[in-house]
Amino acid sequence: MKREAQNLLQKVDEKSEKCTVGCPILDRNLNGGIPTKSITEVVGESGSGKTQICLQLVLSAQLPPSHGGLNGSSLYIYTEYPFPIRRLKQLSLSLLSSHPNHLLSSSDPLSRIILRGISSAENFVELLPDIELCLRYWKSRLLPIRVIVVDSIAALFRSEFGNCCFDLKRRSSLFFKISGGLKLLAERFGLVVVVTNQVVDFIEGNESVRIGNFSELCSSGRRVCPALGISWANCVNSRIFLSKDQTGIKITRFSSLLFAPHLPLSSSQFVITEKGLFGVENV
Amino acid sequence: MEIGMLPISASKRGKLLAAGYTTLHSIATTSITHLATDIEVSESEALEILNFATRNSALERSSGSNTNVIQGGQTAWDMLNEERFSSSITTSCADLDNILGGGINCKEVTEIGGVPGIGKTQIGIQLAVNVQIPLDYGGLGGKAIYIDTEGSFMVERVLQIAEACIEDMSEYSHHFHKDNQAYGVKMHPNSILENIFYFRVCSYTEQIALVNYLDKFVTEHKDVKIIIIDSVTFHFRQDFEDMALRTRLLGEMSLKLMKLAKNFSLAVVMLNQVTTKHVEGSFQLTLALGDSWSHSCTNRIILYWNGDERHAYIDKSPSLKSASAPYSVTSRGIRNSTSSSKRIKMV
Repeated sequence: MKREAQNLLQKVDEKSEKCTVGCPILDRNLNGGIPTKSITEVVGESGSGKTQICLQLVLSAQLPPSHGGLNGSSLYIYTEYPFPIRRLKQLSLSLLSSHPNHLLSSSDPLSRIILRGISSAENFVELLPDIELCLRYWKSRLLPIRVIVVDSIAALFRSEFGNCCFDLKRRSSLFFKISGGLKLLAERFGLVVVVTNQVVDFIEGNESVRIGNFSELCSSGRRVCPALGISWANCVNSRIFLSKDQTGIKITRFSSLLFAPHLPLSSSQFVITEKGLFGVENV
Repeated sequence: MEIGMLPISASKRGKLLAAGYTTLHSIATTSITHLATDIEVSESEALEILNFATRNSALERSSGSNTNVIQGGQTAWDMLNEERFSSSITTSCADLDNILGGGINCKEVTEIGGVPGIGKTQIGIQLAVNVQIPLDYGGLGGKAIYIDTEGSFMVERVLQIAEACIEDMSEYSHHFHKDNQAYGVKMHPNSILENIFYFRVCSYTEQIALVNYLDKFVTEHKDVKIIIIDSVTFHFRQDFEDMALRTRLLGEMSLKLMKLAKNFSLAVVMLNQVTTKHVEGSFQLTLALGDSWSHSCTNRIILYWNGDERHAYIDKSPSLKSASAPYSVTSRGIRNSTSSSKRIKMV
């Protein structure tokens, strides 16, 4: 899809489209929702809600723009088996019950979500041309895919790369290849791209670099930092951190904006119920 | 010498410079209609200016000051005088402007690098807005080219910064009792958006093709005074089978950008990412694209966190002292840091 230089010039008057995450309180901190044509990363430890928010996103994307959606189908690429299909079904019923029928183009929201499992980073790079074909196909059938979720990107890289310089370089250039490929598709097809990432423990004494609005990130009472290092951090446009703290049976969850080109720092509390993931109004 | 010698008003002089006429020769060799449209004066006024210019450049030639110089060259004295008219673009942060000697300089390539989230794109957008500040308010009244390689350019943010800039200007004119009726109408956030030529590139081949095309584009849009590339690095960090090719491509690109800066008297700002370099057993933060890339810019600024405060540090410059200054990113754009106790530190 090569374009002539003069065709690269674009108009600067349209505000970017956004997709609701399914909760007005969380949307507010994001100034409307997750933006299109960029990569948003959701990072947090296991059980912090990353997958939950992604499942909710691919359902909300099917709503019309008047209700914060994109009238779009979604492509959900997962790396950790098994895929939580039952939870997705539960959330889809919640969506149907909270919105009138005529808003959704299909009676079964699940029919507009395409699932694909992958196992390695190279696998993913090889998949990119197929993803493009898939996007074109669905667009031609007037059910355009508007959201791509990669859950999680960290899992693709954790196992097969060692710590030596050569491996790190190879890993790093794969980051840019994948990110470049996703951003190109996001730009061409106006996609929301959400990628989830894991955290690693922060080790004192390491030459660690502060990235983003918060000098320290804590979850479950310990200091953490996003996996995949500074190279990957350069590949995403926005980063949201989900934290959780458990005392007894009470779980406190926070969603914090670490960096974004259009948003100031913010933090809001949220809960996960059977109906989904929802922000909590500040008391 | 140059434009300064012409017996014309200061605003006409400013308009000539803004339109790209930095030497008498450039005026003398243009046509009356071009001159009239470029600086928005009547044809008779343009003829007057043209006559002055031809007379003076003829005098210069006969006095021999130009015949001692090689074709395309100039004496150091001429260059010094030219530099007095070289303009700079404010960053909206006084501390940062101070260590930069007034702001981001035209005719130079400035590289700004830092970690994600430190404010590179914010500075880029602020400059794209500030270059448009009218001459009467100390700006260049120019347009901007914004080359987005990563998708970080968010229109809503540009609007925010543009609105804040306009508010600041009307406050300024309020204080100095300037008649800003005319500008109140001209400077509208949407017109600020229109004056930013936005290019989105999605691969390194597109990026190179675009940089090659810029010469033609800027010739057709002489009021462009700044080119921002955000970021220059992204598409070059993928696997290049042939690293020598990458070095060559980067070298050619940086040469073209330097020529653009010099020939059209505009500022080129390249935003860069940081990476870790393995040096003597430990990892150090360094700007991406390797050692050979460090020759591709005139000035280099590194943005970093100092505790909870953002700082900018002049890493390399032929004319500026190594110094660091704090700045902040607010809803209105780049501004001075709120902690007034931390001032500029000389290194």
